[in-house]
Amino acid sequence: MTRAIGPVHVGPVVIGPVDAGTVAIRAAAGLLGAGCVVWAAAPLVHKGWATLALVLAIAGVAAGALRLVLSGVPVPEDAFLLPASLRACLRFLEMLRRVPWEEGAVIALVWLEVMHRSRPWHTAFLGAALIAYLLATHLAESDASPAVLRPQARVLAVGAGLLALGAGAGMLSATGPGPGSALLRLVAAGALIAAAALVLPFVAPPSPRD
Amino acid sequence: MAFPSRPNETGRDAPGIEFSLRWRSSRHARRLLTLGLAALFIATVARRPEFAGLAAPALLLLAAGRSQRRPPRISLRARPSTRRAFEGELVAIDMAVEGQGDDSVQWTLHPGREIDPVGATTADGPQVRFTFSPQRWGRRQIGTMDLVLRDRWRLAEGHLTVELPALDCYPAPAEQRTQVVLSRLPNRLGEHAGRTFGDGIEFAGVREYVPGDRQRSINWPASTRRGRLQVNTFAAERSQDVVLLVDSTSDVGEPGTSALDLALRGAAAAARAYLEGRDRVGVITYHWGAIGWLAPGLGRRQVYRIIDAMLASERGGTGPAYGTSMARLPRAALPPGALVVVFSPLLDQRFIETLRDMRERGFTILVVDVLNADPPVRPRSTDRMARRIWRMEQEAIRFSLRELGVPVVHWDGIQSLDLPLARYTRRPLIASGSRR
Repeated sequence: MTRAIGPVHVGPVVIGPVDAGTVAIRAAAGLLGAGCVVWAAAPLVHKGWATLALVLAIAGVAAGALRLVLSGVPVPEDAFLLPASLRACLRFLEMLRRVPWEEGAVIALVWLEVMHRSRPWHTAFLGAALIAYLLATHLAESDASPAVLRPQARVLAVGAGLLALGAGAGMLSATGPGPGSALLRLVAAGALIAAAALVLPFVAPPSPRD
Repeated sequence: MAFPSRPNETGRDAPGIEFSLRWRSSRHARRLLTLGLAALFIATVARRPEFAGLAAPALLLLAAGRSQRRPPRISLRARPSTRRAFEGELVAIDMAVEGQGDDSVQWTLHPGREIDPVGATTADGPQVRFTFSPQRWGRRQIGTMDLVLRDRWRLAEGHLTVELPALDCYPAPAEQRTQVVLSRLPNRLGEHAGRTFGDGIEFAGVREYVPGDRQRSINWPASTRRGRLQVNTFAAERSQDVVLLVDSTSDVGEPGTSALDLALRGAAAAARAYLEGRDRVGVITYHWGAIGWLAPGLGRRQVYRIIDAMLASERGGTGPAYGTSMARLPRAALPPGALVVVFSPLLDQRFIETLRDMRERGFTILVVDVLNADPPVRPRSTDRMARRIWRMEQEAIRFSLRELGVPVVHWDGIQSLDLPLARYTRRPLIASGSRR
């Protein structure tokens, strides 16, 4: 008595068999995170809780990568009758998905970087790598293709320019250590950000409203 | 927020329903903000402007993303392929959104209870189709649909959760091709060969020719042998009244194969089989302190009426008609001379007394026993003893019914109903005279 409902077209599958592109983006996110950790940690320092920051950064990047790997694992709505081991796994998965690991890793990496002596171009490379890590993580978790970043290309280019200018400002040769030189550097950085704010409407015009 | 349950409000040409979106920053935006603020903080505290440069790309992206258009309201349309389906049947629901602009749309289906998704539960695009299959009879909520709109820069997400319309899931009828036919049939045209002579097609015998007989019915070989004209006689074709009596007082066993599941599936199969044989079929549902009924009727639609009546009783509704006692059922609900096919686990003593009472009133009853569960096995001797006593009681109940002339057959819900009924479908069931 079953009635046919006609040909059924299932929408595009997002969760299901993972394709090579998705694997590549997830791997890229993990590798960029690991690279950021190595880049920010080297050479190792042992002051200002740098070791703790390093541990936090490693944990954040690793947990974030694990979250991306396990993003396709379905969670049953009713876990009451499941065995304890499976319930523990589900709790771990929920914790993995709830905690903002990448934010913690970013803070720890910035803290690790500031523990070193001033090295502006090193910091600039770290900034570029961090942005790439966050973008790759975003692409991996939303299963989007890198093409979705195309509208942001100009803004990212301006950001890279600002990053380079910031590094250059950090290399300004001041007459000597003291409040004057520090103020000069901060004024330069503020000027960079103000310039960016002025350029922004031309780089990323607002969407036309209906 | 939910879609209306009335079908015509979500029809093919129906306008969509407006919903408000809840916009918030995406995880990506929160990460960028964390990076920007942390770097700016470090730049200020440590007086190192290169960290301000590190913050610049993240803050620039966030600032640029603010200018993206975010629609506050969207229009949604949900169109299930059907509002009524049988257990295990494939059903599709089409979802469409309007007013989302350039934003990308992601749908996630969270199926309701006893709804099994078929294929993906997540899809992208303004128009998508999800397929699912209801697994158990009853009024089932399809589930909820999560909709996420993302702006072009993926820095903000508009969230919306809507409840999908409900679906009436009918019990999947079991397999039954044969019918139990009474020996005494009412004088109504049908498809069963009756005991009386008539204009049917089933050969009944040969008799001597009398004036008025049609010439084409003369049996020439018999006439030659006997030396006198003989004519063929045929059995009259009659229909019968069948009343399905569903006992829903006890629901024991695993959900999906419980006694009530089997009773409903068996009753649906019987309704279909007898209606295909041009019989008039009605239903009586018996549950605690109340009885619902649907008078016997003809036609394919009667199958759906019967299932609707059974489900209405299960939902606690009254169904088409309602009463409190089997003794006060109107003749329309339980016509004299009707075949009563009972689907019951025979656990309720009051129901068994009702069956005995009906038998004594002259109804021809056939019981299909749908009990397939035992009390749990426990190691204690008292428990084992209780289990044995329970089994003996069950055997005694079935024996007493057989002694009264009520056939009891057991059905496991897996095999075809034709198998347990085979003994009674081969020849007409002797009908007792109705004294009602």
